[in-house]
Amino acid sequence: MTESHTPFDHRPDTRLGAALREALTAPGDRTAFVARVLAGAARQPAHPVEHLLARWAVRGIAAAAAAAFVAGLVIGRGRASAEPSVSDPDPGAMIADVQAEPNLLLVAATGR
Amino acid sequence: MDLASAGRATVKMATEPQRPTGDARNAKEVEDAALVARARSGDREAFGVLVDRYADQARRVARAVLQDPDDADDAAQDAFLAALVKLEQYDSARPFGPWLMRIVANAATDRRRRRKVRSAVSLNEGLVAGGARPDVVAEREVLLGRLRVALAELPERRRLAVTLFDVEGYSHAEIAQVLGIPEGTVRSEVFHARRKLRVLLADWRDDG
Repeated sequence: MTESHTPFDHRPDTRLGAALREALTAPGDRTAFVARVLAGAARQPAHPVEHLLARWAVRGIAAAAAAAFVAGLVIGRGRASAEPSVSDPDPGAMIADVQAEPNLLLVAATGR
Repeated sequence: MDLASAGRATVKMATEPQRPTGDARNAKEVEDAALVARARSGDREAFGVLVDRYADQARRVARAVLQDPDDADDAAQDAFLAALVKLEQYDSARPFGPWLMRIVANAATDRRRRRKVRSAVSLNEGLVAGGARPDVVAEREVLLGRLRVALAELPERRRLAVTLFDVEGYSHAEIAQVLGIPEGTVRSEVFHARRKLRVLLADWRDDG
């Protein structure tokens, strides 16, 4: 039937394909089949709830990631500006300057 | 007309599969992608165009698995409806046909497992059709019946591989995607299927 082809041929065997196509073609009405599928599709919601949720979930995650990034930037900048400058007084020196009451020191040491 | 010439006439009369050229293929894929995008946004008319485009192919692929045409139509319908639900998962950078055919093949396989359709049904049908009858139409049916028998005797994956390659014109790479197997395995499956089918067709021609 297909003398010009070998089983190793990488091209489609058009004669064998044509015969198989005819053998596999359904006897039923094609238009009726398409109508049946479309009727089934019409019974399905255009956007099933889970797909809407899935869409929203993706968008929500993206928005949360963007918000976290912006928040990180803002906090980072805020911390950078709050760091002590060279001209600020040394906190240790400030504490040493405080005249501590002996009772207060005792309470702090015993925890009572 | 003898059986052999009837067979040759049958093959000539049948619509030969047209493997689209690269440009035509690309244009079709672009159109498919646009239709899918519209269908995703709820455009049922676009989905209808896709169904119309792929109805014949889906029915044939389903029939390659199930043999019974009614079962095949049911499976093809299930596949289209499943595809509609899964459209969000479709990667529009890839061709739509193989993606859809994978769903069709899976739907047909699931249905076959559920209903336990046995190939014996088709085998009997083919054997009955094997009796020589005088008119051309009957002779044509002999060929078709024997082809169905030969297909039914092939393992399912082999049936799908040869159908997708020689009937539907998909490439080995695309079939590998549809069946979820390596490309080399697809080549092997097509090779074995052809060898079996050609032997059968050669026997049929000798009958005349």
